[in-house]
Amino acid sequence: MRPIKLMGHERSLTQVKYNREGDLIFSVAKDSTASIWYSSNGERLGTLEGHKGTLWSIDVDSETKFCATGSADLSIKLWTVENGICVYTWAAPTPVRRVSFSPDNKKLLSVTDQVMGQLGTILIYAVNYDGDYSNQKAEPILTIPTRPDSSKVTVAEFSQDGKYIIAGHEKGEISKYDASTGEYIQSVQAHGIHNEEQTVSVTDIQLAPEDGSYFITSSKDKCAVLIDLESFEILKVYKADAPMNTAAITPLKDYVILGGGQEARNVTTTSENQGKFEARFYHKIFEEDIGRVKGHFGPLNTIAVHPDGSGYTSGGEDGFIRVHTFDNSYTEFYYDVERTERAIAAGTT
Amino acid sequence: MSSGISSWADAADDVPGTVVTSNADGTKTVVSYRNNEGKLEKITQIIKEVKVTEKVHPLVAQRRKWIKYGKERNTPPGPDTRTTQLGEKIELKLGTAWKEQEKEEEALRAQEAANIVSDQRIKCRSCGGAHFTSKCPYKDTLGPATPAEAQGASGIPEDDGANGPGKYVPRHMRRDANGNLPPKDMSRDDACTLKVTQLNSIVDETMLRSELFAKYAPLARVTVVRNKETGESRGIAYVTFATESLAERALEELNGKGYYSLILRLEWSKKKKT
Repeated sequence: MRPIKLMGHERSLTQVKYNREGDLIFSVAKDSTASIWYSSNGERLGTLEGHKGTLWSIDVDSETKFCATGSADLSIKLWTVENGICVYTWAAPTPVRRVSFSPDNKKLLSVTDQVMGQLGTILIYAVNYDGDYSNQKAEPILTIPTRPDSSKVTVAEFSQDGKYIIAGHEKGEISKYDASTGEYIQSVQAHGIHNEEQTVSVTDIQLAPEDGSYFITSSKDKCAVLIDLESFEILKVYKADAPMNTAAITPLKDYVILGGGQEARNVTTTSENQGKFEARFYHKIFEEDIGRVKGHFGPLNTIAVHPDGSGYTSGGEDGFIRVHTFDNSYTEFYYDVERTERAIAAGTT
Repeated sequence: MSSGISSWADAADDVPGTVVTSNADGTKTVVSYRNNEGKLEKITQIIKEVKVTEKVHPLVAQRRKWIKYGKERNTPPGPDTRTTQLGEKIELKLGTAWKEQEKEEEALRAQEAANIVSDQRIKCRSCGGAHFTSKCPYKDTLGPATPAEAQGASGIPEDDGANGPGKYVPRHMRRDANGNLPPKDMSRDDACTLKVTQLNSIVDETMLRSELFAKYAPLARVTVVRNKETGESRGIAYVTFATESLAERALEELNGKGYYSLILRLEWSKKKKT
């Protein structure tokens, strides 16, 4: 495959996202502009300008009408995707580390950092989606502060039915909250238990593309973990040899893609050939490392998989986005057991 | 305009219109004309039109028509090469044995590289073949290729500038200003050198010079052995004295004495001939 290199950002990428149909890619980096790209040819639709600080996160609603950006300049901005106009700005108490739309587009989740003497929180804002969208409610409708017995939230995501909020914490635990009341339901220590690593901060949460009944979390403890949403049990553990910044589940095939590499400050002391800057493909069920994709010359910060499973996009510390489209070897690969199973299934029908 | 055309608009009028004819095999012949600096040029193109239908979500098709904004405002349609480029080809080899495969490939590559190097290393001076000169089959018939090379073979660096700029002579082997060859024996005279061990790591050269060995001055050389990376002293120093008797006095007087909470140990840096 030949990836498309997108070089619109001046600093390291923080998040990339596809919209529901997968025709647009949304990217944010540590420079203060977000970019929107056509995924088919890498043409840039436009840039979103107006923030004054690092952009940590971007999300697009399911109809690609709005996108929201969370920034370190203490604000969340709502933009219309069609013309790139900022229609509303929410003020946040501390830098915003993550934004995410609810599945019905009525709510916007944001994770604010635990700095400047403030407690880290998950804030839920109501989004006036269909009406006069430049007139939004400035106050959050729900605030979930860090629990006293827990550490600060680093990432959070709505479940696919919008009932729960899943949050990843700095100390490696994953917890579940009720999305309407903010009530704490349960948590699981997902990271920091598989090895001796000291930094275990959760770096990414992505839902399973099919039904969202499980999700994957990545962490600085060099692992990614698959967790069931309802029972909140750890299903699978994928072990790597470097801190992981991102993890994604692929539709179509039973793979997960992990991205990471060592800390940015150690990058210059490492040879590119050591393979720390590659996207890692693991088999979702067998937990085995089955392949790697080279290309970036810095750690991968973010990975997003095309909703139809035809490719993926990665954003690196090197400031580049690479849009990959899988070729046939990807879809044709099966384990021997999978092949036999398919043969048996084909024989009986 | 010097060419006689009053304006571009008029020039365009002079050019005959484009004629498109459909051929029997489905291709089209397009004959067009253009005005190239006053000369009329006829361009004939044969075009085959292939319709590629791609089914996309209607929303996607609609979004393709959006007008670009932000930094991309007013840029022509299509990807901008400043921001979008095609990367190099990557192969994604899925499989449980990808690590072994990669290792094998790497080993193969290393082997090839080694082969190239080893091939280049051996070169016959007589015939230029890949064997030693002494084993050359044409040794008797050809003889040493050139006198210059024959000299080089004798092992004595014959010299600098005179042989032309071609040959590099290391600095320590060059002639000095008077045209004398450097002395053959470059080994240091270590007869007056003492090795000092069990030094405190805070002790440096100046402390040794001005405190410990001050009364045995002049000192030819004082060196503290240090860790290459950290620069930290390894507790060993070499001190060269002016005469052997001075060194002997220092050895007798300071061996076993305390210095910065450690007991010094002095010895001859080279074993004395008895």
